[in-house]
Amino acid sequence: MCGQSRLTFTFCLLPFAFDMLRRTRVKLQDTVSSWILKLNQEQDVIEVTDIVKRYGSNTVLNHATFQIQTGQLTTILGPSGCGKSTMLRCMNRLERFDRGRLKIGDVEVSGTEDKKLTPAEEKELTRRLRERVGIIFQNFNLFPHLTALGNCMEAPMTVKGMQRKEAEDVARHYLHKVGLADKEEHYPAQLSGGQQQRVAIARALAMEPEVILFDEPTSALDPQLIQSVARMLRALDDLGKTLVVVSHDMNFARRISDQVIYFEGGHAVEAGTPQEVFGNPQKAETRAFMQSFQEDEPLADAQPNADKLQSNALETNLGTRDNLGQEE
Amino acid sequence: MMSQQTRRTALTLLLLLLFPVSTLAQSALQRVRQSGELRIGTDATYPPFESVEGNEFSGFDIDLGNAIARELGVKARFINASFDGIFPALQNGTFDAVMSSVTITPERSASMLFSDPYYDSGQLICVRRESEGINAPDDLKGKTVGVQINTTAQYDLEKREGVTVAKYNTIDLALLDLQNNRIDAVVGDAPVLKYMIFKSFRELKTVGHRFTDEKFGIAFAQGSEDLVREVNTALKKIKETGEYDQIHEKWFGEAAERAAEQEASKTKPKTVDFNLARRLLPLFLSGILLTAQLALISLALGLPIGLLLALMRVQSSRLIAAPAALYVEVVRGTPLLVQILFIYFVLPYFHIYIPAKTSGVIALTLNCAAYISEIFRAGILSIDVGQMEAARSLGMSYSQAMRRIILPQTFRRVVPPLTNEGIALLKDSSLVSVIGLTELARTGQELASRYAAPLTIWPMVAIFYLLLTFPLTRVAEYLERRWKTVTRS
Repeated sequence: MCGQSRLTFTFCLLPFAFDMLRRTRVKLQDTVSSWILKLNQEQDVIEVTDIVKRYGSNTVLNHATFQIQTGQLTTILGPSGCGKSTMLRCMNRLERFDRGRLKIGDVEVSGTEDKKLTPAEEKELTRRLRERVGIIFQNFNLFPHLTALGNCMEAPMTVKGMQRKEAEDVARHYLHKVGLADKEEHYPAQLSGGQQQRVAIARALAMEPEVILFDEPTSALDPQLIQSVARMLRALDDLGKTLVVVSHDMNFARRISDQVIYFEGGHAVEAGTPQEVFGNPQKAETRAFMQSFQEDEPLADAQPNADKLQSNALETNLGTRDNLGQEE
Repeated sequence: MMSQQTRRTALTLLLLLLFPVSTLAQSALQRVRQSGELRIGTDATYPPFESVEGNEFSGFDIDLGNAIARELGVKARFINASFDGIFPALQNGTFDAVMSSVTITPERSASMLFSDPYYDSGQLICVRRESEGINAPDDLKGKTVGVQINTTAQYDLEKREGVTVAKYNTIDLALLDLQNNRIDAVVGDAPVLKYMIFKSFRELKTVGHRFTDEKFGIAFAQGSEDLVREVNTALKKIKETGEYDQIHEKWFGEAAERAAEQEASKTKPKTVDFNLARRLLPLFLSGILLTAQLALISLALGLPIGLLLALMRVQSSRLIAAPAALYVEVVRGTPLLVQILFIYFVLPYFHIYIPAKTSGVIALTLNCAAYISEIFRAGILSIDVGQMEAARSLGMSYSQAMRRIILPQTFRRVVPPLTNEGIALLKDSSLVSVIGLTELARTGQELASRYAAPLTIWPMVAIFYLLLTFPLTRVAEYLERRWKTVTRS
């Protein structure tokens, strides 16, 4: 009788014991992975290996392979329809790909044809990926019913479960960083295109991702704002974020990038520093693209962080690199 | 006459034919004796036979019904019901008998029981006072003649060659059209025509004699033979004691006609009678309340159901989307009237008994939910896909993105079409009168025939509906203002 009840008692404790074990394991895993991440600091944070994606008979990504290092600003450059935007969307799981492998930090994604995932696995994978990767859309996609502050508070509250007060602090912090401290209570429709983009950046930053993706950051803006975007991107780069920018604007790519990947026909044709890719393209496709492109103004001497960039009314509140660095 | 039925009844009967008549364990007479009351269904829009003011029934059928109940040793309780639904309600046991100027016809005798005839009626022709040349049915050739729809008058005239028959929902509307010179004559039940002319159609007159013989009987559900026997005995006794003649004299005797004429000569009838309107105002109150109640409850319940259906329909999984799509398809594709009839009259055959008011609310709710779901679906689909992508890319789950990003924007957009739906619902709620609910429109119908004053009553009904829509419009305006998405600084 006594032995039996002790047995029952032990069984009752089993779930708790399992739970404790699981928690310890998760904790251990986290410690180890962050440790490995530190070791890999100079290693590739993003690895794209042989990714293939088809829409019916149309192959959008055709064995795309490239690497991006931690903390770098990489531009994926190419003509329209080359698959560069699809590539970017795959990196945030807004699109799935059929074959190949994508590795971002410690998250590994396989093609849907290589590895079938259950809905629960898919959900978990997407969650972990998006925790690490933020995206700034071409037309920003701000939430029109929320103020600038509201836009930045929403995800920290719903996804991270932050209290309103705390989320407000985080949102304020990043709005301040992008120079919009005085526009907190404005609705998206009350902001200019450049300001909207900065709200979108602050919104992504508020989730504190390691990687930020930009889909054509200059295409929706006036030409005179492009310089301010360039400066903003460099400032983000200095926050230690890994940035991936998709663009077809060669001037822009040359000015801001640590690495340029030339994309055509659904795969990376050539990768290297701006000097290498623009100065001495190795592949015929890259050369052809360079030739079709006419330089309006010589920017060969423009350095990524050149401070001769014009100051602009919109930029007056944009923190300099120094204070961004300090605040971080 | 009277067989004030509309096409709807045919539909109801069709529905009912599909289901076997339920058998009652208790005999009809036992039930009446035990409960101490005889429940009599009547469509109180047909003076001088039956009419109602507030909760007070009056008329020839009412007095006679009370006398019969007294002979049976019980009390009569009159239940007001639209003629459309009166026979189905009799079949499913809502009342024990129907006294509503029902003409005994072979068709009706096939599906229900009748008492001995209690009143001899017949059709009479009515024309404008100044018109000449129409004195008998044969003179109607080549003329346009108004009747109440599905009455014996209609059946008779349709058999005659060369007569164009114009059908109206109630007899007062036919008389109004005659007075307005659009038709040449009206044919209807003699006592009713006379009553209406005395009351307010002084420019009209009856001509000739009754040209049909019709007998009114009390209708019972099949299986109530014992009750019918008792009622016939009572009726016979009432006739023998002379009480029947007294009641007849009271409503149709020369004294009654003289009194009516006297009253008529004292007060000149007005087309629009403001004094009458003022006097009748309080009688509308319960109808207004019921209409408001039906519309508000149905809307309040229909909104969440509609939203749920819309959310189901925008899912990519066919398993979830298809049932919602099917629901919308079926509900939107069938008339609200049939849905109301189905819930109230057909479900009892499956031993599901739902009270009239609840049935009305359920039917209106299920109906408006289908339309509301399409409004919500259109609203959700109108939100740019980029919104969902942006929310998801920030790590929100589908349901979080829906709740926090997509739906708040949807609500702002759907306020105007939802207001439309709410107002349509308010007015559609008048259809529940078919299951005996005296809401606003039905109140209007009853009072319009009771006082033979359609031109006074119907504008009042319209104004009440307008007043009811007002708060709804105000709420919508408030929400639009509050939720106004800022578009410019």
